[in-house]
Amino acid sequence: MFHFVDQILEHEPGRHALGVKHVTPGDTFVQSTGTGPRTLLSCIVGEALGQLGAWTVMDAKDFAVRPVADVVGEVAITGHATIGDSILLDTTIDSVTDEAVFYHAVASVDGTAILALENALGPLLPIEEFNDPDELRRRLTRICRPGLQDALLHPRVGDPGAFDASFDEVLSFEGGRKATAVRRLTGGETFLADHFPRKPVLPLSLLLESLLQLGQKLLGDGGTAYFPIAARKVKMGRFVEPGVSLEAKIRVLERNAESAWLRFRCEVDGARVCVGEAEYSTVPGERR
Amino acid sequence: MNTDNVYPKVREIIADVLAFEEDEIQRDGSLVEDYNAESIDFLDLVYQLEREFKIKIPRGMIEQEARRGLSNEEFADHGRLTDKGLEKLKGYLSEVPEDRFTPRMQVSLIPTLFTPETFCKIVVRELEGSEQAASD
Repeated sequence: MFHFVDQILEHEPGRHALGVKHVTPGDTFVQSTGTGPRTLLSCIVGEALGQLGAWTVMDAKDFAVRPVADVVGEVAITGHATIGDSILLDTTIDSVTDEAVFYHAVASVDGTAILALENALGPLLPIEEFNDPDELRRRLTRICRPGLQDALLHPRVGDPGAFDASFDEVLSFEGGRKATAVRRLTGGETFLADHFPRKPVLPLSLLLESLLQLGQKLLGDGGTAYFPIAARKVKMGRFVEPGVSLEAKIRVLERNAESAWLRFRCEVDGARVCVGEAEYSTVPGERR
Repeated sequence: MNTDNVYPKVREIIADVLAFEEDEIQRDGSLVEDYNAESIDFLDLVYQLEREFKIKIPRGMIEQEARRGLSNEEFADHGRLTDKGLEKLKGYLSEVPEDRFTPRMQVSLIPTLFTPETFCKIVVRELEGSEQAASD
């Protein structure tokens, strides 16, 4: 399953929506962070915010178009959601044109923000190329329910194990400096069934997660642990379809005792697919 | 107001959107050829300019304004610029070096001509338009 909005509590088509994502034990996208509790991958929280925005825009556009790919000015990671948490998703549409939706969003748990998206943009493309619009209409009707429901109503059953965000092959690795890695999309990945049924492509959120984790390994090579706290100027301009080999290059721009910056660029056959920057801190969730 | 007034901010935004350093951006550089701008970058760029300058840049504005005074058929034929269309476009995009225009060029390739100065002109025009509207 690659749908992350379990319920929509409030919905003003094309303008604003409030939704919920429950983090449950069977969730594919929870990870263990050392000795701490298992948490939902941060990029999936961002994906949920984007999907909530997509629902409200698709509804406003009568399911003729949908947002795909993305540009995100900034993703701020300020906390995590653990199993049992219900994440409140709050997405505000700043504007919608015939070509694109522009939005910002924040996810929180018990009133504390855990992730925010600023200055996000999603190009709008004909929905028929990606989904069955009637299926999406039915799904929206199912998840639009006022009043928060219990997470137990949303068990994740049958998900085939945790998602592996690592690259298939690391071609080069110079600790603290730079790395190059490859990911091949086989077509058998379970998330492709929903992203998207008619045009399976690698979600930006999963690619970003892989990049943030590789960057973490690169920075942590000297023994000090660095945690991703933000990504900036993230842009995915092309689809990554099954059968292709994506090459990711990460370069550390700055690393000191408290924080670090790096830049990443992903290509398929030499063409730019995704670029961006990431910020890390030795203290999780703490900005410089 | 002229384009010099807005160029520093436009250059900053272009550098940010296209992931270049500001001093790498040339005022007459081709955003597509020199800075690898793609369609999503143009969406992003227009949005950032609209936010920064509090203006609205109509989509397809350059092509529409460039062809003003010419019918669709006079401007392009089977998706390619006519001689008249090319001259009109050269006049409209006067900041673009002459050698970047090619006879019978495809209409869909017009964005490959855009430079930072092109966007400065758009911003100035829209700013002046909104000032005019406010004073009317």
